Amino acid sequence: MAGATSDDAAGDAPASGGDSPESGRDATPSSDGDGPAAADRSTVLPTGSPALVWLGAGVALLALEAGAAANFLLGLLADMVAATPAPGPLGSAAASLVDVLNGLERGAGDVPTLLSRETLPNQGYWNGERWVGTTAGLSPAASWALRVVLIYAYAFAWAGWAVLGYRLYRREYRAADWTPRDDVVDRLRSHSWGIFGLTVVFMFVVMAVFAPAMGPTTVEQNMRDSYSYELQYWDAEEGEVATTLVGTANQDSQSQGDSNRVMPLTYDDYGRYHPFGTDPFGRDLFTFITAGSRISLVIGLLSVGLSALLATSLALFAAYYKGRVDLGTVLLSDAVMAMPQLLLLIMLTTVLSDTGIGDVYSGGFVLALIFAGTGWTYMWRSVRGPALQVSERQWIDAARSFGQRPRTIMRKHMLPYITGYLLVYGSMTLGGAIIAIAGLSYLGLGVSPPTPEWGRAVNIGQDYVDTGSWHISLIPGVLITLVVTGFNALGDGVRDAIDPQSDSAGGGAAGRGGGA
Amino acid sequence: MSDAVRGGETPSDGGEKSLLAVEDLRTVFHTERETVHAVDGVSFDVREGETVGLVGESGSGKSVTARSILGLVDDPGAIEGGAIRFRGEDLTEGRWDDHRGDIAIVFQDPGNSLNPVYTVGNQIREALRIHQNLRGSEARDRAIELLEDVGIPDAPRRVGEYPHQLSGGMQQRAVIAMALACDPDLLVCDEPTTALDVTIQAQILDLLADLQRESDLAILFITHDMGVIEDATDRVNVIYAGQIVERAPTEALFDAPAHPYTRALLESIPGRTDPDEQLPTIDGEVPTPTGEATDCRFAPRCPEAFGACRQVAPDHQPVGDPDDDRIAACLLHDDEYDESLAQVRDGPDGDARADGGGDRR
Repeated sequence: MAGATSDDAAGDAPASGGDSPESGRDATPSSDGDGPAAADRSTVLPTGSPALVWLGAGVALLALEAGAAANFLLGLLADMVAATPAPGPLGSAAASLVDVLNGLERGAGDVPTLLSRETLPNQGYWNGERWVGTTAGLSPAASWALRVVLIYAYAFAWAGWAVLGYRLYRREYRAADWTPRDDVVDRLRSHSWGIFGLTVVFMFVVMAVFAPAMGPTTVEQNMRDSYSYELQYWDAEEGEVATTLVGTANQDSQSQGDSNRVMPLTYDDYGRYHPFGTDPFGRDLFTFITAGSRISLVIGLLSVGLSALLATSLALFAAYYKGRVDLGTVLLSDAVMAMPQLLLLIMLTTVLSDTGIGDVYSGGFVLALIFAGTGWTYMWRSVRGPALQVSERQWIDAARSFGQRPRTIMRKHMLPYITGYLLVYGSMTLGGAIIAIAGLSYLGLGVSPPTPEWGRAVNIGQDYVDTGSWHISLIPGVLITLVVTGFNALGDGVRDAIDPQSDSAGGGAAGRGGGA
Repeated sequence: MSDAVRGGETPSDGGEKSLLAVEDLRTVFHTERETVHAVDGVSFDVREGETVGLVGESGSGKSVTARSILGLVDDPGAIEGGAIRFRGEDLTEGRWDDHRGDIAIVFQDPGNSLNPVYTVGNQIREALRIHQNLRGSEARDRAIELLEDVGIPDAPRRVGEYPHQLSGGMQQRAVIAMALACDPDLLVCDEPTTALDVTIQAQILDLLADLQRESDLAILFITHDMGVIEDATDRVNVIYAGQIVERAPTEALFDAPAHPYTRALLESIPGRTDPDEQLPTIDGEVPTPTGEATDCRFAPRCPEAFGACRQVAPDHQPVGDPDDDRIAACLLHDDEYDESLAQVRDGPDGDARADGGGDRR
């Protein structure tokens, strides 16, 4: 998973320079003359090749989590091969390939990684004198906190690595000493509301990415299959270490009112630490929420990605060809917008619930498809204007006049002008999608139980809001608000950075709530 | 399909050596209220290696003609008639893509014809890749060569710079380099110097003349500036409200303009009149041609107009030296209307008083 973070970061740098890799190459021969000057400017490290040092740091960071990254990638590959329908003899070959990949995945799982539950365990017990089975004999709370802090430190190290790489590239390798994108980046850096949003979104994404390592326990042990796992604890009455089933322990840790509750930042009777307390079924709320963040993010990203793809292609196509093509997309999107999104959602989730597609990712995949299918119109409306605007620019005609293919013109000469808008609306739509997913699971639709989802946490806690167990609904509710605000703030920041004339106080395009 | 046959049957009026022959071109724009005949039966030709001017006021259809030649007319515009023959092949039958790169265009505003997110070199390489199939360092070297050809100093450094790092004149040179990257036979220059200041303008004109000498390039020069026409072109077409009103060799046109509109245009060039007198202007503005021509479209502004001018659309009449291939679309040169002309014309001496049109209405 760490690999994904680094990809994002690395992808960021070239995009900001437009043609940067090529211009970098261009500069090499011509900078022969000012070689010594370039060396003087290199203030990062005295090695003369800061890029190597930077790459080395990246490899070191990746090595810390190599096992997990390989595990994730191989698992993904195996799932993809398994999901691809292969006819006849190919089918058996594919099956054996899946076996091989799964074997590799298990092998990769054995590679020690720094931030795993195995390396930094927090599930131990008190044997009367000291903690057994926790990291370095610390208390479970301290062990868990150490792991979470390390995970965030690791993630921020990646972010710092990416920023450093961008600065290094900007100072040492890019031919131009200024490009229009530099101003965008600088404006975003000094936009405190946008930075707040970026931080919230980053922390949310880290939570989703490292969800399995983040919780004090796992979804499998604590929720799905709690009667198949045992735990040891210090039985104070008997004065000895006893063993019981997790499910049984959960029964005694329920939060259902004033007297019968496990509040945030406390231990239950079985020596288990609950950072966010427990839910009415005695399950660990923090684990529930981290797992739910992953579901929300995956569905949100998938739906926003799909609608952005659809909206961008249609907008570019319509803006390039204009006339009837444009009219056609307007009619199509008006028709889609006229459909009641919520009714369609309820109907399709019911109709598709028994089919193969309905089960993919606990119904989350269908949800993402429906969000994308009905939500692309809003994004299309936002990028159509900019696309039409850029299609009137003379360099489009220039490119057409020397025979560039329409698709290349759309990609090379038009797309860069609407990616900014896509970022803004993508960020805000993602916030809307998270609200929509939470709203649907609150209503009992969408993601099917027992898969954790934030909206369901609000739902199961709502009977106890006015009792001592108020934390069950409140914490996920506050988190939803915070994350959605974060996405909207990020969108505002990006918009102000891209267009210096826009004013966040005016808030013309401020957060649009999701469909549900 | 029958294009080649037709091309053989009716040789274009420009003679046997014409590179580009525009014949009775009609480009219209269908708006919700009306149909605008922006280019209404324009014919002219460009021969190998010569510079032909197309001159007219704003809104006279110059740029639409240029865009039509390049096949860049967008919805709601359409080419509804006529032919654009390049080396005998009619481009209007969907053959633009066969001749992409043979005809290149330089637009008015250089800042707007370069994409600001890519380096100059990148954009030249884009054209080189398509037309000369050059990639990598080969393309880069060729791009530097082209920049040197158009007189950009320190080309190896400039090739990696972004458009905003160049001055307006440099930008226009880079745009010309981009056009040259296609290795064109015909360069259409749509007001290439209008956005530049006068000294830069002269440099660009010199550059175009040099390039033409070196590579036998034909240039179609579109401008509203009669001074530029005098400097840069061999032959000139005067366009008014979507129609060619006069065609002549440049010298002959400046010596003895045949059409009242040309006369008025020439008079309004600063420096041709006595500095103490007020500079003559042409009152009114170019009408938007929304229907078929049923009269002379210049008649309402013409100081020499007479009755028939408002009833008959003038044909192209040969004027001047027959070897010059001069024409003018004016009833003054049409023998049929000589008598009525004598009756109606009662002005002082027929000299074009540009602001005197109102007297005779």
